[in-house]
Amino acid sequence: MKPSSFRFRMQVRSWKTLALVAAMLAIPALGPAQAQSLQEKIKNHQPVVVVTEDDYRPFEYIENGKPVGLDNELFQLMKADAKFDLRQEIIPWTGLLAGVSSGKYDAAVTGSLINQERMKAFDFAMPVAANMHKYLKRKNDNSIKSIKDLSGKTVGVQSGSVLFARLPELQKMIEKTGGKMGKIVQYASYPEAYQDLANGRVDYVVNVEIGLLSVMEERPGVFEIGQPVVESPSYVGWPVKKGNKEMLDYLNDFLRKVKANGKLEELQKKWLKTSFKNLPEHVEPNF
Amino acid sequence: MPYLPFLLQGALVTASISLVAIALGIPLGLALAIVRWQRIPLLSQLVALYVSVVRATPAITLALLIFFGSPSIGIVLDATTAAILTLLINTSAFNCEIWRAALIDFPRDQLEAARAYGMSPGLAFRRVILPQVWRTSLPALVNEMTLLVKASPALAVIGIVDLTRAASRIGAATYRPLPPFLAATVIYMLMVMLLVVAQRHVERMVRERYGTG
Amino acid sequence: MIRDFAVALAHYDAYLNGLWNTLWLSAATLVLASLAGAAVAALMLARNKAMRLAAAAFVDAMRCVPFLLFAYLVYYGLPALSLQLDSWACGLIALVIYHTAYMAEIVRGAWTNLSREQIEAGRAYGFAGFPLFRRIILPQLFFASVPVIGNQSIYILKDSAFLMIITVPELTFAASSVQSTYFVPFASFVIAMLLYWLVTLGIEAAVKRVELAAEVRRG
Repeated sequence: MKPSSFRFRMQVRSWKTLALVAAMLAIPALGPAQAQSLQEKIKNHQPVVVVTEDDYRPFEYIENGKPVGLDNELFQLMKADAKFDLRQEIIPWTGLLAGVSSGKYDAAVTGSLINQERMKAFDFAMPVAANMHKYLKRKNDNSIKSIKDLSGKTVGVQSGSVLFARLPELQKMIEKTGGKMGKIVQYASYPEAYQDLANGRVDYVVNVEIGLLSVMEERPGVFEIGQPVVESPSYVGWPVKKGNKEMLDYLNDFLRKVKANGKLEELQKKWLKTSFKNLPEHVEPNF
Repeated sequence: MPYLPFLLQGALVTASISLVAIALGIPLGLALAIVRWQRIPLLSQLVALYVSVVRATPAITLALLIFFGSPSIGIVLDATTAAILTLLINTSAFNCEIWRAALIDFPRDQLEAARAYGMSPGLAFRRVILPQVWRTSLPALVNEMTLLVKASPALAVIGIVDLTRAASRIGAATYRPLPPFLAATVIYMLMVMLLVVAQRHVERMVRERYGTG
Repeated sequence: MIRDFAVALAHYDAYLNGLWNTLWLSAATLVLASLAGAAVAALMLARNKAMRLAAAAFVDAMRCVPFLLFAYLVYYGLPALSLQLDSWACGLIALVIYHTAYMAEIVRGAWTNLSREQIEAGRAYGFAGFPLFRRIILPQLFFASVPVIGNQSIYILKDSAFLMIITVPELTFAASSVQSTYFVPFASFVIAMLLYWLVTLGIEAAVKRVELAAEVRRG
């Protein structure tokens, strides 16, 4: 009996290994959805899908179940204008850029910032805003009056954002004053970061000034905006997968159109409280 | 509580996604268990691998993988489908083990008797095995349902506005997170207790109708 | 896809860091929850009815609450009690309190299933008090509950992943961080999944070892 049962065990063990190896070999064969060009999609009556973040004031957020904000309103204009099936999906920031880079979405109409790392994977449409990063602190926190006071304090920032990626610049600024960067806490989205700032779990939150102004308006009297934490502004641009020239041209044509007819400026004033008259069409960030 | 309707909407989303996953997960678990019980070559090992890996994966990691990872391998899913799939995959692995335990414990003599009477495997399964095996598995299956509901908050990370995400949104909007989270906790507890009460009911009914044999 | 895995694996330090945090949290929870669980189990078997009811209510309540919700309540509730703790501490506290309830059930179950005959025989042979506990009762408790505790430690491991939502930098958080910065979601989360699986296999292997030792003991 012994030899045959031993043989069976060997067989079982090798079956399991075989299954495992087969599964692993299959993985490289999988790849992202074949990114169809814009023309192909329009010809085949397939929807063109843009993606937007679900909670990033004032660029895009949900109020009473309806998507509002600068990017959502611009998307509505785009959709009204489009002669093909243009759709929007709204998801958390966590999967947004990865979704564009894998071809699930044709573009992201979102308040994402442009930096060198992202330019390796994406092409960006012309910027719709430019902003400095600043820090937000509790109004009643008198221990923070300048960059020097940020030494050792805990900062909250969104995970996977350029705000997080550019924190080394703030670190240099703090170290120049003889201090040290404190703990960095990463949040999935800004509302949670602001909440933790209010309840004292973090000491300051870093975001673009536009975002901070928005929360100041939302919650008057709770916070105060501090000094810039970077030396140069970041630009807000809509990413498409690198090489997707057709989609990029489509977005740029649309943006040129709303720039020309004044709609862009109107919406910028409405949502961002300021208009950006001299934005370049293409930026090359040094960060 | 002015935000109660929003919370209840979220509760509805949680309940409906959970119910679909539960309803599909029980037969799927049974199918997987049969594959292993019958020792179908290669498939059996794949199922064993699947069950082992899925049972070790946290629900939240699975949800992130399925929704955010699927485009990289060419699969396009919307959030709701991804949510149901996450809970379904998770619960099917646990259900497989529950069904398998009952199938393995099934008395050989009944199987042999069925074969002696010339019953086809399918008929034997439907008329002899399944009616008894579901009674044995029932308590564990209902327990797994409560675990599924308790794991469902993981879906909040993929953007599903379920009960947990609704509570989180309310807290982020009002800066007073405790009231909505306490309310959400109570609603979850009610859902779980409902399942537990249903389980005790069904156990008693089974005991009364079929005896403890 | 291979390229994606290469990109993700290039940041292996992030995954190892996350894994270390996950293991640390899980191990600490296992130890603390076992101790606290034993204490709660003692309360559940106490003579005082009020203590029994309170302990039972605690255990029943924890078993009806989703862990993530409980973690949120601890995370946002402690500041309300003027306890300003960072996410790590909140996460650990949530894990320990939550799994104390489950451990209490396990210990209580093992205790009530103790073999009366063995204990009576032990007493007949002159064992009493601490030696009775150490040589007769404790080994029984240990070997009976190890498989269940092994199972529970896998649940602890999986629950620790929920803590990523309250910004605890454990394994899933690390995987999510890498993928959102370098756009490799499938590769990143598969790596995390495989790591959880390896740890689970390790726990299951350890439990099997103990079960084998129990077999040998039983003779």
